[in-house]
Amino acid sequence: MNSEKMKRKGTLIAIQDSLVKARFFDDVIMGETAEIAVDGKSLSAEVLQIQPDPKNADAGIVEMQVFEDLTGALIGDEVVFTGKPLSVLLGPGLLTSVWDGLQNPLYKLSEEDPYLKPGMKAPALDETALWVFTPSVKVGDTVSGGDAIGAVPEGKLNHKILVPFDFGKCKVESIIEKSSVNITQTVAVVSDEQGKQHELKLVFRQPVKSPIPFKARAIPTETISTGVRVIDLLAPVGYGGTVGNPGPFGAGKTVLQHCLCKYALADIIIMAACGERAGEAVEVFKEFAELKDPSSGESLMNRMCIFGNTSSMPVAAREASVFIALTVGEYYRYQGYNVVLLADSTSRWAQALRERSGRQGDIPGPEAFPMDIPDQIKGMYQRAGADRGTGGSLTFIGTVSPAGGNFQEPVTQATMDSTGGFWGLSQDRADAKKYPAIDPLVYTNSVYDSFISWEHRQDMVDILHEANDIDQTISTIGLKKVPVEKYIQYQKGLTVDFCVMQQNAFHDVDACTRPERLKVINQGVQNLLNSSMEFDRDAMNDEELKSMIKTKFDELRQWWRDWNSNAVTDEEISTLPEKIEKFVAQEEYAL
Amino acid sequence: MIRKEINKISEVGKALISVEGNPGVALNHVVELLEADTNQSLSFAKAINITEDSTRFQVFNGTAGLSTKTKIRMHELPLTAGYSPKMLGRCFDGIGQVADGGPEVIFEKQVSTRLDTLNPTVREVPKQALWTGIPMIDVFNTLVKSQKIPIFAGPTEPYNRLLSQIAQGASADVIIFAGIGLKFDEYEYFKEQLSASGNIDKTIMFTHLAGDSQIKGLMLPDVALSVAREFADDGKDVLVLLTDMTNWSNILRNVANYQDMIPSLQGYPGSLYSELAKRYEVAADIEGKGSITIIGATTLESLEDPVPDNTGYITEGQFFLENGKLKLARSLSRLKQGVNGKTRNDHRAIMTAMASLLADAEKAYEASEVGAANDAFSQKLLRYRADFIEHIEEPFGEPIELEPALDKCWDILKKHFEPTETGLSKQLIEQYWN
Repeated sequence: MNSEKMKRKGTLIAIQDSLVKARFFDDVIMGETAEIAVDGKSLSAEVLQIQPDPKNADAGIVEMQVFEDLTGALIGDEVVFTGKPLSVLLGPGLLTSVWDGLQNPLYKLSEEDPYLKPGMKAPALDETALWVFTPSVKVGDTVSGGDAIGAVPEGKLNHKILVPFDFGKCKVESIIEKSSVNITQTVAVVSDEQGKQHELKLVFRQPVKSPIPFKARAIPTETISTGVRVIDLLAPVGYGGTVGNPGPFGAGKTVLQHCLCKYALADIIIMAACGERAGEAVEVFKEFAELKDPSSGESLMNRMCIFGNTSSMPVAAREASVFIALTVGEYYRYQGYNVVLLADSTSRWAQALRERSGRQGDIPGPEAFPMDIPDQIKGMYQRAGADRGTGGSLTFIGTVSPAGGNFQEPVTQATMDSTGGFWGLSQDRADAKKYPAIDPLVYTNSVYDSFISWEHRQDMVDILHEANDIDQTISTIGLKKVPVEKYIQYQKGLTVDFCVMQQNAFHDVDACTRPERLKVINQGVQNLLNSSMEFDRDAMNDEELKSMIKTKFDELRQWWRDWNSNAVTDEEISTLPEKIEKFVAQEEYAL
Repeated sequence: MIRKEINKISEVGKALISVEGNPGVALNHVVELLEADTNQSLSFAKAINITEDSTRFQVFNGTAGLSTKTKIRMHELPLTAGYSPKMLGRCFDGIGQVADGGPEVIFEKQVSTRLDTLNPTVREVPKQALWTGIPMIDVFNTLVKSQKIPIFAGPTEPYNRLLSQIAQGASADVIIFAGIGLKFDEYEYFKEQLSASGNIDKTIMFTHLAGDSQIKGLMLPDVALSVAREFADDGKDVLVLLTDMTNWSNILRNVANYQDMIPSLQGYPGSLYSELAKRYEVAADIEGKGSITIIGATTLESLEDPVPDNTGYITEGQFFLENGKLKLARSLSRLKQGVNGKTRNDHRAIMTAMASLLADAEKAYEASEVGAANDAFSQKLLRYRADFIEHIEEPFGEPIELEPALDKCWDILKKHFEPTETGLSKQLIEQYWN
């Protein structure tokens, strides 16, 4: 195909940070990738802009962002254009993989050098691993882009081998029998309507900025059990939904992400560690490998893949990492699987765009972000969704790291505008070590169904609001002025907050609450809220009475917290509603 | 080797110079500036922006005294830092030149200062505590080897004294002190403290004093961290103290400004996050080798300032120094969960219980300021709060080991509360209350 002569080339004429300009004479395609020869290494770049050359009417100037460190680059270094946009390799072996932001496998690279040096590359998927391919079409069949021609088992999944999505109608010319093949071998040959033959392998490349289509897009209806009570009760997310999860630093975004990785019920979890701490990604792929998947009992890593473009890696690759992860998610959704994509953090992604547009000299929008950042964010979240046609879904949960913890900043605002759910983490709750620090009063929006009825959900929100109001009263005018009835409501609200909304992410039992247990908790909360507590008002004065009420509720809360951590068997779990009933009726104080 | 020379500087600005045309300098490579007549070396400079029409350099020693006739000699290499174990006990400037007036150091090798990212797969999951003898850290926010954590403090807080106290108590093999924009008395203080504690022989100081060339200050963390990496690759546990990263960020802002870059917030370049992250991410526990722990100092007026804000997103927690006390409320060690479950069985529980009570106490304190904390429990909380600030949040003084520190926590709880008021489990109450 491309002989040396046919290659379209250019030469560098300007270099600054990760941005370069090159002069070319043939033709350049917007968005295509290029390889730049720097100091004996080949560095990848992407075309951002094409301009005329003021010095040479026969030439043009192309502006590119380079995905690797450019130290040593010289004016005149050669650029070779590939003709292909940035793409991701799709096929069996994606699961359990750990890549950098451009799909270079990190374990493979570490065999070469412990440090990531510019120009280091390795095949995205293992080329030697053998997969048992079973054909599902025969010679003469007609197939087109997205159709399966067979399948291989990948862990517990049935991984369909698809015709690349950009293919039109094709006829199967040949296909192999059931056999073990690696990803470099041809498994079928198809001919297109022009009669041109194409070899199909277990893998193909998909451009990351062209979304893989839905078969029949649908509104998310089924709720994901994330194991996190405040989410599943008050701010649930459906399969195929989108959630923005903003929070100032230290509010617990990372711990929440890790909880979702561990406990969310899904076939596949993809983690795009985008511009965040390397240590956190390491914890996931080194520690989570030892943990068990809640649905299969196998190692958690068997359902995961990780793109680690951590904060010290080249900024230009950060933007790419999220799109690559999205494309992998869409691929598995097309196969009929429920995929959850965690992008941590979309703010770093937006900052990468900001750095780039700043260097390009674009007129800046608010806080120097590109003017079109809200549209870019919306476009990204729109790629999530449920597919009735395949039965799969792609859920996108993006963390947001607002500057100064201020939710009014452009990225948080655009995210609120783009997502169906919103988990806002509050600094005040984090300071009070009330984890997870999702504020149940302010930032729990969701268009998805809860595991409990709307009315019961509302009851919980109401009591939390009421307690909060009374709390404000106590802080301003003092406890003495608060009537006993109000004080009881206050204690009830505190109890719901302390025992239901708060959860210990590091405790084996407490860390994950499934819907059955939520229903029991809900019953307990209903018992607590729907009956009034009577006290003998003559036995003591109001202050003594409040003090006694506090003691009783303290005891209840201690008991309930112990239940959260210790109740495991059905019998133990079922004790909660009854205990609370007795507590309210004051039949049994020694809880 | 004969090095290519350029004879004409076309533009001299603050910290930056430009030459016309394309002399063939590569990005980030170093050149030497020479006095035209005498060939005396004036400074080094780094190529940061190259086009076919002009090349721009950052000048390490500042541009004062340079003229259009100053000669540029090309070195065709990026900036390297000299490394040798003989550097221990010595003091260097921001580009690794001897700065203590002592004899030259014969380096074993020159190492790259590019700070390539460590492949995440060769990082260990951090699991070894770094004890400091400060209860506020050891009990409530345990420090872990390979952690990167800043001290957030107002400009007048004793943050350097705290860094020095941690350095003296911490069990690291090598301590690298990297000071940017230091005042002379701070520099002297560190030197004295380290000498007095006998730790000077395992310390290397890289210092940049306020008023020194900005570019040297800008380069300093890269040079110091590159040297730290060599020690870690050699199996050593290295503790790097970066003070003060706000000074460093301000230099970054100045230089971005000289380059006419579009500012994002408060004049800082949009790349502030990435630039800070590149330095802090050097902290690591490297498989089969040593480790690098970084404690930075970040001075601030407000937590929402871009430098502390971006730092908070990069580092693994932060320590808050306020009125000379290490405050529990906003301090956090993100890695503590990896180590504090393997200590005494009450460690995590007491940490949570006391923090939760302190949060309630802060609310009571606010209420008391308007005369609203009039109930008995609020009064208890107020007394607890005062005790906590005096005895637990005090970072200075004799080091206390973990278990006595935990016992001290129980004493404070017992003094002020009934067992059920603490939220602690029955089992722990039975074990420790009496």
